[in-house]
Amino acid sequence: MRLDLHSEMILEEYQAKLPVFEQLKTVVLEQLRRCLDENNIVVSGLEARVKTEKSLSGKLELKGYKYHTLDDITDILGARIITFYSDEVDLISALVEKLFDIDWENSVDKRKMLETDRFGYLSLHYVCRIPEALYKDPNMPELNQIRFELQMRSTLQHVWANMYHDMGYKSEVEIPVEYQRNMSRLAGMLELADEQFSRIRREINDYRRNVQSLVASGNFNEVPLNGDTFRSYLELKPFHRLAEKIASINQAELYEDSLMLYYGVFYLLGMKTIGDIERLKNEYKDEAFQLASLQLAGTGLDIVAYSVALQNLCIVAVLKQGFGKAGLKRLFSLIYGENSYNAQRAQRVYEQAQKINLIP
Amino acid sequence: MGKTLVVLKGRIDTTNADQFQQDIAPLMEGEHPDIEIDCSEMSYTSSQGLRIFLLLQKSVNARGGKMVLRRMNPQVKEVFDITGFSNIITIL
Repeated sequence: MRLDLHSEMILEEYQAKLPVFEQLKTVVLEQLRRCLDENNIVVSGLEARVKTEKSLSGKLELKGYKYHTLDDITDILGARIITFYSDEVDLISALVEKLFDIDWENSVDKRKMLETDRFGYLSLHYVCRIPEALYKDPNMPELNQIRFELQMRSTLQHVWANMYHDMGYKSEVEIPVEYQRNMSRLAGMLELADEQFSRIRREINDYRRNVQSLVASGNFNEVPLNGDTFRSYLELKPFHRLAEKIASINQAELYEDSLMLYYGVFYLLGMKTIGDIERLKNEYKDEAFQLASLQLAGTGLDIVAYSVALQNLCIVAVLKQGFGKAGLKRLFSLIYGENSYNAQRAQRVYEQAQKINLIP
Repeated sequence: MGKTLVVLKGRIDTTNADQFQQDIAPLMEGEHPDIEIDCSEMSYTSSQGLRIFLLLQKSVNARGGKMVLRRMNPQVKEVFDITGFSNIITIL
């Protein structure tokens, strides 16, 4: 690669400033990570790179005449935030505007550059500086003068840009005309998918909020049983009283384990609403306690899992509904997974249930 | 990466639970620990034993590993079942 004298001078400046760019990269990543954490934002990716000498040489060879000094090249350090959803890009850009000094003249919102009938690269590019109030290193005062580029885009926008880049094209006009239409169609499809993901996420959030208030209001018969409603129901600790009563058999410690596993069990027991679970609990809680007493009394075992309440409730429900030993074996397979112990356990529990007249 | 095989023999009760905890302390260190515990010669565990299994499982999970208890006799399995610990600890 042959560079003219002017470009060679820019390249020398780059070599001299490389440690500052590396330090700037560390600072930018640290500040962005801290900002995202403080605002409880989870992103799909956060990355940064300092342009390699080879890449810079290539750029200078092509359009070195455009730059007076190294400072005119704003993407020597490039950082990127990849969000899960397209509507998070604006949220993050608002935070970035507060965090860094933005060079608005050189920043571009590529999302707004496309004509209404065109589909292609969508990303928000800010050219930024680190304000001294945010970070200052007395040994590297130039760190606050250097501009860097920050790209913000969604995961699907990133996919499109990556595929495009992988094909070896830097701009749309380079693509052979026979392929431009197909690339545009793909870009349009991804843009639609991006919008749909954002919309579905918003709707699910709305649904969860509605469900939470419905469950909290106690209108259990109106709440269909699904993973979200069961999770909200568990927040009310509906099995706590039974679990405490079982723990009291041996004055035991109650260990709070996850009860979400029982969603599938209740579903297979034919429960359609949270109200059905409430009825099952109220109907069988005394027998569930009786069974637990038979099993635990006199053992001296002074720790029990919270789930033992649901375990015994479900055992009683299976037996009361006439599913017998086969039903118990199926229940244990659901709770513990398929294993060689389940048949033995079903037999043992069945015998215990007979002792306290649980079998209809 | 291989897994650590632990063979337990006899009872875990108030007389030896502290010793058991000391013995398994090395398993609470290191990265991505996969632990398989052969319980075929274990005849009983008390609540102290359950608490130690729970501690070990939490430690293993926190480090990205898996803990599995195998070949448990029915009497010992009963202790895990009636306390609800079979819901928490993987027993194969």
